[in-house]
Parts: sequence; C-alpha cells; structure tokens
Amino acid sequence: MTPTTTPPTTVDWRIRCRRWLDDVFDEPASVRAVAIVRIVLGPSAIWHLRPFLADALDGVTYLDVFQQKWWPWVPNAPAGLYVALLWIGVAAAVLMTVGLWSRAATWVTLAVVAYNFFLSETHFRHNRAFLIILLAGVALCDNGRVLSLDARRRHTPDDRALIWPVWLLRFEAAAIYFASGFSKLIDPDWVGGRVMHDRTLRYQSDVRDALGDTLADPILEVLTARAFQWVLSPVAVATELFIAFGIWFRRTRLAAVWVAVAFHVGIEVSAQVEVFSVIAIGALAIWAVPSTRDRTLVTPSGWVRWLDWMARFDITVVPGASWRMVDRDGTVLEGQLARQFVRTRLPATFLFSRFWRYR
Amino acid sequence: MVVQLGLVANGYRDPHNYFAFQPFNESSTYAVELVRVLPHGERVAVPNGRWEGYDWDELIGWRALQGPWHQRHAFSGVDAVVDYLDHALDWMADNTPNDAQTLYLEATVTYYRNARGPYVTVIRSHDRELGRP
Repeated sequence: MTPTTTPPTTVDWRIRCRRWLDDVFDEPASVRAVAIVRIVLGPSAIWHLRPFLADALDGVTYLDVFQQKWWPWVPNAPAGLYVALLWIGVAAAVLMTVGLWSRAATWVTLAVVAYNFFLSETHFRHNRAFLIILLAGVALCDNGRVLSLDARRRHTPDDRALIWPVWLLRFEAAAIYFASGFSKLIDPDWVGGRVMHDRTLRYQSDVRDALGDTLADPILEVLTARAFQWVLSPVAVATELFIAFGIWFRRTRLAAVWVAVAFHVGIEVSAQVEVFSVIAIGALAIWAVPSTRDRTLVTPSGWVRWLDWMARFDITVVPGASWRMVDRDGTVLEGQLARQFVRTRLPATFLFSRFWRYR
Repeated sequence: MVVQLGLVANGYRDPHNYFAFQPFNESSTYAVELVRVLPHGERVAVPNGRWEGYDWDELIGWRALQGPWHQRHAFSGVDAVVDYLDHALDWMADNTPNDAQTLYLEATVTYYRNARGPYVTVIRSHDRELGRP
C-alpha cells in the first residue's frame, strides 16, 4: 500500500528549509557585519596595491617584467592608464573605508584589484584571491546602510538589506578553511610533519635573527624537533577543519572564531601572507547573527557603547546601577554574569572572555 | 558556490592551485642552471642570469623566480615553479631583441620535493627567429 501522507519530520524539514530560503533571499536583515568587513577591506586593498604603486613610482609596471597572461583576451592597459587605474583603486578604497558612495566605491575597488590580479598569473596569491572574493561579496550587499557617511546622510536610519551575499561569503570563507585543511589532511608529507619540519629547519636562521641566539636556542630546539612537528602538523590540519565546520553551528561558533583568530595571528607571526591575516580576521564578522540591538543592557559603564561595534546591545547607561542584560530569548543575567556575557559579545574583549560559558 | 567547489577540486590537478586555497602546500626547493643554445648547437652558460646586456632578475621582476642559481624555496610548490619557469623562458626569448645569437634558452632545474631528491628536469624556450630586425 502506498503511503498517502508525508512523514512529519520530512514536512518539518521542508518548512524549515523554505523559511531559511525566505530569510536569505527575501527578508532584510542587518548588514552591520558587512559594513565592518567593508571598513577592513578598504585599507587592506590600499595595502595590497601599495607595492604595485611603489614599482610604478620607480618607473616599472607589469609591462616591463615577465608577464604570464591568464587569458589572451584580457587587454593590457598602457603604462600611464595602468598607473591611473591603481590610483583610482586607492581613491575608491578610501571612499569604501569612510562609506561615501559605499557600494559604488566597493565595485570600483573590486574592478581595479581584480583587473590588476588578472593581468598576469604572477600576480596570483591565495590572499589576493580571498581579497577579491570578499570585495565581490561586500559589493553585492547594500553595505553603506550603516557605519558610513552614506548612513549619516539618510533621513531615516535603517541598517537592514538583503543578506544573501552574506551567506555566499560564509560559504566561501568556510570553503577556504576546508580546502586548505583537507588538502593537507590527505597529503602524508604534510599531516606527517615532514613539510613543517623541513620548513622550520630552512627558516630557523630567521628566528635567530629576530630573537637573538640566547632566546632562539631553546625555542628552536623545540621547533626543529621532528617529534614536535609530528604532533603540530596534524593539530594545524585539525584546526583548519574545525574552523571550517565548527563555525556553522551555534554551539561551536564562538570557539571556532576564537581558534580562527589565534590561528591567523600565528600565521602572521610565522609567515609573510600580505593582507591575509587582517582580512581573514575581519571576515569573521560575517558569522555574527544579522540582527542588532536585540538584547537590552543596563550598565554603569559608558565604555560598552564604544566597544559594541557589532551593535549587539540596546544599551542604557545608568551611573551607579548594577549590570543587567536581557537576552534575545528573555533570559535575564545580572551582575557579574551579565558583565561576563557582554565581554563575550564585544570584539575587543572577546578573546579574553569566558565565551565557552555563554554560547 | 558550484564554481568554487569546482576550483577546489581542480586544485588537485592544477599545479598552481588557483582559487583552490592550498597554501604552504610544500616545503620544496629548486635551483636552475641556465644555458643559451646557439644555432650550431653550442651551449653557452649564463652565469648569474646575465647575458648580452640582459639580467634575468631584472626582467623577471618577481621574487619567486629571482636568483634561482642558488637553491631556494619553491613558491607554491615545485610543479608551479617549473610551469612558471617554462613560461618565463618563452617570455625571455620574446623580449631580448638585442640577443642576436641565441636560438633558445634551456634551464636544467634541480629540485628537492619536501626534502626528497634531488630530481632533475630540463625545460627550454621556443626557438627564436634570428636575423629579425
């Protein structure tokens, strides 16, 4: 006999999926996180274009050195036009940062960075590819609605817009951690520690130069030990995979963000990765729930207002009052618990907070 | 999203891992011995990459391929470096008009892949048209 009704679990799943798609494609939500990424990407784009401009000031452009075309149909700009484009990119990045004509400025910055990137395969770096992806995601979003001069000019402030590009960026960010971690996981040389060990041996003179022999000796004794790298390498791989998956789930998201920040700081200290660390840490903002001021907070401390960049709280400062926070679900925290919770939601204090207690 | 997944998968085929995000994939090293091959087959060494008023490092303008006469880190892996070098030889052949003698450039690349080796591969530029103004 053929069943005529769909099992309830399947119906629930379909309804939830449809609601999620409605939220993603039809329901406006706060784009504050995207605005923060925009503010991070502006200076990063300038920093990225800086060496090309420095070469241009010395009279050297991509036309004067080895160039390997991505595609033959990408037109080569004459040197003068190329340099002008770089300066236009810098100007657009400044406008992005301050949020003047935000969306158009982001598109222009993306166009210049992408054009420069696709002029030659020798311009390829993973961090530059990630920069282009982030610029594209931010440009697709109405990112000037908040934290911008554009927002100040609006008569009715409203930080909401369609956020499907945020989901696209989330996928891209997670895919990058996964691709990096998985490729190392299936490489016996990497996961077995051979790559890291050889690399450490080769660059130990840099550590010695930076720290001096007295400090470097005991550190290098550990770092260059084969056994240490045998342990560290799988830990590094597990870290990337944990970030890739853990960041999707509410219970593990804060831990994944904490690990990601530590991971990027570690990379920045140990390798030259251009703007990667800054943009990757900045891009973690996209994982915040896209709603603002939906928790109420009574606090005696005015500093919370200054540090609440993600607008997590509707804040009332009452001198002499005790801390009191009402969460989205109505849960009330008071005193030290409220203070601890607030610290977990402020970017500047998050790293040193008890985030694992308040997921 | 589909395109990104495709690029990630393509990274296992593409030596450059473009948009496949496989950073720090190898700890390999390489060194290059460059020679000019003249029309009659004579092989002329190119010490430190300088010949006929040209300088390899200056023409390359990219740190990853500069100074390959001494053993150095293979940016993005050995396969990527060999591919870049292959294209660089062709580019050099096309952009050294004052060199009226060289038929083609040849590079002997000696490399260690993740400290294993040495392995040797030989690459060469396309033939140049000599006698062209």
